Amino acid sequence: MADLPEFVIDREFDAPRELVWQAWTDPEYLHRWYGPGVETLIHKFELEPDGLWLNEMKMKNGSFFQKVIFKEVIKPEKLVWHHCSADSDWNIAANPMMPDWPRILLTSVVFEEKSAKTNVRLSQIPLDATDAEIACFAKMKDGMSGGWGGGYAIIDEILAELKAK
Amino acid sequence: MEQTGYTNPQPNLDAVFHALADGTRRAILSRLAKGEASVNEIAEPFDISQPAVSRHLKVLERAGLIERDIDEQRRPARLKAERMIAAVNWLADFRPMWGTSFSQLDDLLVQMKQNNK
Repeated sequence: MADLPEFVIDREFDAPRELVWQAWTDPEYLHRWYGPGVETLIHKFELEPDGLWLNEMKMKNGSFFQKVIFKEVIKPEKLVWHHCSADSDWNIAANPMMPDWPRILLTSVVFEEKSAKTNVRLSQIPLDATDAEIACFAKMKDGMSGGWGGGYAIIDEILAELKAK
Repeated sequence: MEQTGYTNPQPNLDAVFHALADGTRRAILSRLAKGEASVNEIAEPFDISQPAVSRHLKVLERAGLIERDIDEQRRPARLKAERMIAAVNWLADFRPMWGTSFSQLDDLLVQMKQNNK
């Protein structure tokens, strides 16, 4: 376990913890911010251990499905969930754009309040992952190229040419 | 939140994804990485018409990955290297997936705080 690549992001929000927790755990709010500039649909949201959050992000060329299985819900301090990529029937499946992206990421989110602001620390580790999945996650985590269909190889070439100038 | 003078450093990711999802457009970007080129010059090695190339260029332009001269008849296209690198960094590191979402959460929290008053 010690060798698994871990992704960690810390972010401070200018709001008390109760409000930040609400934004993360009320689907009415969650769908409004979750997803990078895309329409997000929440098909199911059960905030309890082994409860499901079924999430669809509508991209231009089709939807991206995620199945979240909550494991720990400690209001308003901590959430732990299994973050799974899914097919349109909500079966855990490889991401079509990135086949080696880990199917399951053990995700934990910790909310800490400091003088009316809230720090959120999100961390993800591949769970039950193949070697290829771990390698893909490690690459992506460090901001290096890899995965993303055939696009990366060509993009890498373009960048190499730009750098060579 | 202070918004004056704020410029979004993130490219429109939807547009960037859409632009990069096509092999011909990626090939056009490869060509432009070697230097600026007119529509004719770009169309030459491809088995597609000039209007088709123009359409691809429009998509790339909208995504902010290239720019074109307005006042010249050739309207040569040129890679906007900084934008390209920013977009690729986004793709290469999913941290900004959370980053973009978190910026949206900032805005939502401002609204929620106002509603609570």
